[in-house]
Amino acid sequence: MDSPDNASVFPPASEDFSSLLRRHGCHPPVPVTQQSTGRVEIVQTEATTILAFKFAGGVLVAGDRRATSGNIVVYDRADKVLEIDRHSLMAIAGVPATAWEMARVLEHSFQFYRRSQLQEMSLDGKVRALSKLLRDNFGFVMQGVGVVIPIFATFDTVSDAARLYFYDAMGAQFEATDYAATGSGSPSVRSVLYYENTWGKTILREMSENEAVILALRALDTAAESDTATGGVDRRGKSYPIIKIVSKAGITTLPEKTLAAIYKAKIT
Amino acid sequence: MIEEPYRWVEAISNRREYIEHQIEGGSPIACLGYKDGILFLTLSRERQKIFEIYDRIAMGAIGHPGDIERLRMAAIEVTSTEGFTRSAQDVSLRRLANYSLSPVLKAAFEQVYGAPYLARMIFAELGRGDDPNLFVRIDYDGSIHSNGGPLSRISENFGVISGTALSMSLMEKFLKQQDCSNLNLEGALGVALDAWTVGHLTAGKDALDELPSAEVIAVHRKEQLATTIIEAAVLEHTSSLPITYRPLSRKDLEVFQKGD
Repeated sequence: MDSPDNASVFPPASEDFSSLLRRHGCHPPVPVTQQSTGRVEIVQTEATTILAFKFAGGVLVAGDRRATSGNIVVYDRADKVLEIDRHSLMAIAGVPATAWEMARVLEHSFQFYRRSQLQEMSLDGKVRALSKLLRDNFGFVMQGVGVVIPIFATFDTVSDAARLYFYDAMGAQFEATDYAATGSGSPSVRSVLYYENTWGKTILREMSENEAVILALRALDTAAESDTATGGVDRRGKSYPIIKIVSKAGITTLPEKTLAAIYKAKIT
Repeated sequence: MIEEPYRWVEAISNRREYIEHQIEGGSPIACLGYKDGILFLTLSRERQKIFEIYDRIAMGAIGHPGDIERLRMAAIEVTSTEGFTRSAQDVSLRRLANYSLSPVLKAAFEQVYGAPYLARMIFAELGRGDDPNLFVRIDYDGSIHSNGGPLSRISENFGVISGTALSMSLMEKFLKQQDCSNLNLEGALGVALDAWTVGHLTAGKDALDELPSAEVIAVHRKEQLATTIIEAAVLEHTSSLPITYRPLSRKDLEVFQKGD
């Protein structure tokens, strides 16, 4: 039979969620502005600290709570470590509006894929999906607004191990062997993690959950010491960093009470 | 052919007869509310008939696989888009059925030059908090039969589909006599299997208003379990996650599949 528009008769084997949104006009593509000459001034707006590392019980992902705009502290309760599905976490450094939107798209993409294709998206598929979102967002990055540099942690049921990935603003993905950090406080955090992993008493991979949490909190405290965009601990306001753990059993969020106790005993 | 009103009515009625005949052989699907949520159950030989639609909505369908697939995808697209642009709280089965699926099915059914959808579907939505569960049956002509959900005074906590109207009404009659709201999963599976058996036993019958006896049900159920496999899924409110759908595994069903 002759059909004037075969594409509408047979939808692609597995349309991804972003294309569906675009088809419904809910997620217009980012306009790429014409850059005629020379260098573009890219404003660095990844003011935060996110760190993640593998320990004996899986992957620990930690982030501070501060959201800034220039030199103003906007919010001290921001949650930058976001749960995407039962076993995946995305932690974000960058412009919150874009980052949270990305997390929403990603979360729905995985669900939509599972529901429509009747199978779970593979690990590589998930890692690529985030890469593609970053790539699609590059128009905003070039305009100096909307840069997002995430970390993605998930549990791989095939290899039965926790996996950790970090990205650049254009969407290149890298798998981290031991640790990853992103945001303005990441240089000092990276140094701390490198030092601990190389000369510390226990290497990161063999740390117990308790040791890992102490290290994460100390590293964030180190970052907050020199980086104004990284929030410290406000004990009166009870705002502690967010720490989540990805393991075979799923995702666990450390309760504030536990963090408060560890802080009291080990950090100050 | 359809210039005159009479011809149109005739064409529609022929079409109805044709579709009913096509759907007739479909294996029944029983859905019922139990202690931890909603159970969907059917027995089948090959193809999957129970599907996840959204966080709290699932569907079961009989009919032509191609048509079921199109309707299933439409339901997933509508709910996912709504859940993304507004929120998961804004996704509702009532709106999906009344505003999205029913008008499309009716239009396709009445356009006598186009092809209708050969499908009969049962949807269920897990009630939030203390809200009752909603069960909605949608037919190939867009007609809707529901338990009323929160709007109903005597809310029936079940929904069924089957190949014929008679066998559906007998499945409903059977389920009305059961009280499943406090049963655990195993208990609910037993009742759902019996309800399926009632539907399967009575699907080929012409006129019958008596339920088969318990012995007849037990014998037929055993026979069927020997040659077919159980397909079942639950929407459960026991988990803290927003996603409530869980297909039951071989292990969950092993007690029944062994044929008692």
